[in-house]
Amino acid sequence: MMTDAAGMAPPRTRRRRTRSVFRNWDTGAGHALMILVSLVCVFPIYWMIVTSLRPANEIFSTKLWPDAASLENYAYALQAVPMQQMLINTFIVSVAVTLVQLLTGILAGYAFARWRFHGSAILFGAIALTWLVPLQVVMIPNYLLVARMGMIDTLGALILPHFASAFAIMLLAQSMRSFPSEVIEAARMDGANHAHILWQVVVPNLRGTIASLSILIFITTWNEYFWPLLLTRSPENSVVQIGLQMFISAEGTAWGPLMAASTMASLPILLIYLVLQRQVIASFMKSGLR
Amino acid sequence: MSDTTPDAVTRPPLRRPRPRTRATKAYRAVRSYLYLLPAVACFVIWIYGPLAEAFMLSFQQWNLLPTSPKVWIGLDNYRNIFDLPKFWQALSNTWYYLVGLLPLAVGLPLVIALFTQDLPARSRNLYRALIFVPMIVPPVVAAAVWRWLLDRNHGVVNLGLQALGSEPIAFLSNPDIALWTITFITGWKLIGFATLILSAANASIDGSLIEAARLDGATKWEIVRDIRLPLLSPTLMLLVLMVVLLGAQWSFAYIHVLTEGGPLGSTTNIYYLLWQFGFGSLAVGWSSASAVILFVGFGLLAAALFALKAKVTFHDD
Repeated sequence: MMTDAAGMAPPRTRRRRTRSVFRNWDTGAGHALMILVSLVCVFPIYWMIVTSLRPANEIFSTKLWPDAASLENYAYALQAVPMQQMLINTFIVSVAVTLVQLLTGILAGYAFARWRFHGSAILFGAIALTWLVPLQVVMIPNYLLVARMGMIDTLGALILPHFASAFAIMLLAQSMRSFPSEVIEAARMDGANHAHILWQVVVPNLRGTIASLSILIFITTWNEYFWPLLLTRSPENSVVQIGLQMFISAEGTAWGPLMAASTMASLPILLIYLVLQRQVIASFMKSGLR
Repeated sequence: MSDTTPDAVTRPPLRRPRPRTRATKAYRAVRSYLYLLPAVACFVIWIYGPLAEAFMLSFQQWNLLPTSPKVWIGLDNYRNIFDLPKFWQALSNTWYYLVGLLPLAVGLPLVIALFTQDLPARSRNLYRALIFVPMIVPPVVAAAVWRWLLDRNHGVVNLGLQALGSEPIAFLSNPDIALWTITFITGWKLIGFATLILSAANASIDGSLIEAARLDGATKWEIVRDIRLPLLSPTLMLLVLMVVLLGAQWSFAYIHVLTEGGPLGSTTNIYYLLWQFGFGSLAVGWSSASAVILFVGFGLLAAALFALKAKVTFHDD
């Protein structure tokens, strides 16, 4: 775009040269700024991985790579805390929440997009406003509810409050509204009922939206900390975010194992990001822009 | 269905339309509600019901034990909270968090977005991928990693500072600094996300507007001030809204893992205070009363910001 503009400008050599020097300087400064910001953003993660690979006698070293990389911190972390079980738990909870939120979101989105009914505007507004209610505000009643159901310290209690998400419903309703109605009418002429249309026609065509929504829900649930912090008592029934805390103690933190545990806790997310980088960024941006 | 295609009309239906019995009519009347039921039930059970319950609990005195009685004490919880210096400290800390977050999560990303718009696409994509990493890292991991980086004796940041001849800084245990450290970590997580949102908005600005201004002899700064910033204002307002309404909430994990609200309550914000009241000192009434105050306060703030957003944003249509 900018080069076109330069081409269109009247060809006065002196002016063009000063401008191109200026632009080069600009680009250089842009690169410098971006490299600096990128370093600040990525170095902590790099340092986490490097520290996790350092043997105990090298833990305070500042070399950018350990002389003898070892996995002993990982071995220690895995046996000090039921890390494996916690990772499995986190995975179960994240997958379950993703599937259930997609299901409730698809059903609710279809209702909002296809039918006109009494109170639809009010219901939609009430759903949209749920993000104004922080979890901290309703944490005590929620905790009491879980206690009354006898579900404290269970994985089920980590899933239940996340049965539906306002963002999933709104995003799906929006993309279903823009779904071509001719296609749906054609299916109706063929005698298909609504359940058939929804699951055989609409959902397969919204694969892209559903995929990026799944990524977002999975990552958000994997990273969740506050609700598990309230509910879990025993490490075996807990998620990995809670496990990390066990390596931080007042009398001195075991940095190697902590960094190994941190690496394990972020590994699935980092792997998803490595493979699906564009989709991850796109789905997060959708969540902000809506 | 006003626009049936001829094809659809001539094709015989696979199944005859079912006769409209009373049952199908009744089903048609309630089916939308049936589709909505799972989602709405979830919100009623886990958000709106609890909100009402928190409101009720805010007038009572109770210690969370099922065996002990709830005592109705009217407005006493509210009176006590407003008399509590800790509450005002948490409130002003919340304010500092927001003030500190805005430059990091809105200001800096704006500068980056404007500065990097001319970079070649390939390197820009690489930077994008890198600066987005903090956003997806679990908050507890971020807290653990920064705890390590900022460690007073062996943290790489302090080692660097000492190499430059400075005294080591107690980033997390100095009451004057700890709050800003946590603000920085919260902002660190958001920089990439905010930058990408602003870059996308910046890239979607109609190039012909910029061309026209350039041909009229506008300088780069004039273009930014008179064209780009007004056109970016809706996105900027959106980010400000997000940071103001959610920023203090995002810092919870960092506070809990890094300082537990200390030293001397200097990093306790209003969300953390709720947690301390509720699950630290088991003061259900106090926690609920501050929850109501928080909810009403942020509700009013949100309404004001939405009104402001509608008023100041410049629409390109």
